[in-house]
Amino acid sequence: MNADATKVGIISCSGEALAGGTISRLATRRVLELLRPDRTVTLCLPLFLAGNEGERNFARTHPTITVDGCEKQCAKWGTETHSGPVSIALVVPEILGHAAEGCIRSTKALTQDDTEAVWAVAERIAAAVDTVLASATSAGAESTPVGAGKAQCACSSPLPGASLSIGGKTVEIPGLPLIFAHFAERAAKADGSPAAALLALVRIYHPVPPAEQDAYKDALLAEYQRFAGMQAAK
Amino acid sequence: MVIPCSGIGKVHGLIGREATYRVTDGLAYDKTATLCLALLVKGDPEAVEAVQRHRCITIDGCAKACAQKNVEMSGGRVAKAIQVAEAFRNFRGARPGTATALTEDGWKISEAIAQSVHCEAAELLGVEGTVR
Repeated sequence: MNADATKVGIISCSGEALAGGTISRLATRRVLELLRPDRTVTLCLPLFLAGNEGERNFARTHPTITVDGCEKQCAKWGTETHSGPVSIALVVPEILGHAAEGCIRSTKALTQDDTEAVWAVAERIAAAVDTVLASATSAGAESTPVGAGKAQCACSSPLPGASLSIGGKTVEIPGLPLIFAHFAERAAKADGSPAAALLALVRIYHPVPPAEQDAYKDALLAEYQRFAGMQAAK
Repeated sequence: MVIPCSGIGKVHGLIGREATYRVTDGLAYDKTATLCLALLVKGDPEAVEAVQRHRCITIDGCAKACAQKNVEMSGGRVAKAIQVAEAFRNFRGARPGTATALTEDGWKISEAIAQSVHCEAAELLGVEGTVR
């Protein structure tokens, strides 16, 4: 493993012929941009054949998760055949079940079903990244501090975030506007305290120390109300 | 067959992908189709047969030309190889978006490529004017 050993490689099938491929692609992008931006990298699957030796070594130099849009599992097969072993293989229909049936291929008119599907798969990928990283850490792999590297793929960069004042500290939460937008979509279905639901959603993307949960709730709720006000004014 | 690359790192990959859907789901839905490039990487017999039996138009997001190369390695016939970057020449200063979502500029570039593919497909089929 190289110096990037604690960056997890995510290989999406990106299957162009089916909606599951679009979901796998968008969910992978979401993990790269928002959920685990400092811990993940990617590569176009066909580069294993069309690329050079360095690209074919990808799965030998990164613990790798494949994300396939259908049961044919081309990403898993292609990665293991042309590059190296896969740590975890995810399959979109196994994650979504029948929920994937209403999805479409183009991003031009994504529906609520598509949006929910992408979030669900992205969250599953993020959990798999955490599992792989925990395994790599326990195996003694060199750790790279979060935020030390911003390279996820050829041109990707993390989504803009927001700074909150929490317990007297300034805390940067990457992608917070997108998380708020997602919360707004879910809010209509949510029961109970909005602050607790907001904290539960943010914790998927950002570590929250147990002792600071109440402070996070207050700060997040205030920031979300400001966000909602701005959205309503648009 | 219209086959875009699976480019996931740059906006070019998404532009090619969306141009493909514009053709196969709209402009020439009854004359064209697409397939998963990953299936060719896997060597799926049906996919290999499809690219060998039909003339292919590939759309690549970068110079590595994964779509073109993988079709050729599968014994397929690439009748036209399109590079998304070439289309940018007619849209100087455009801000096309990201690999996740296209802006209005990105959709314009994608539409231009789709129109080009549509014309090329009509010519290949020898029935110009009948491909909608």
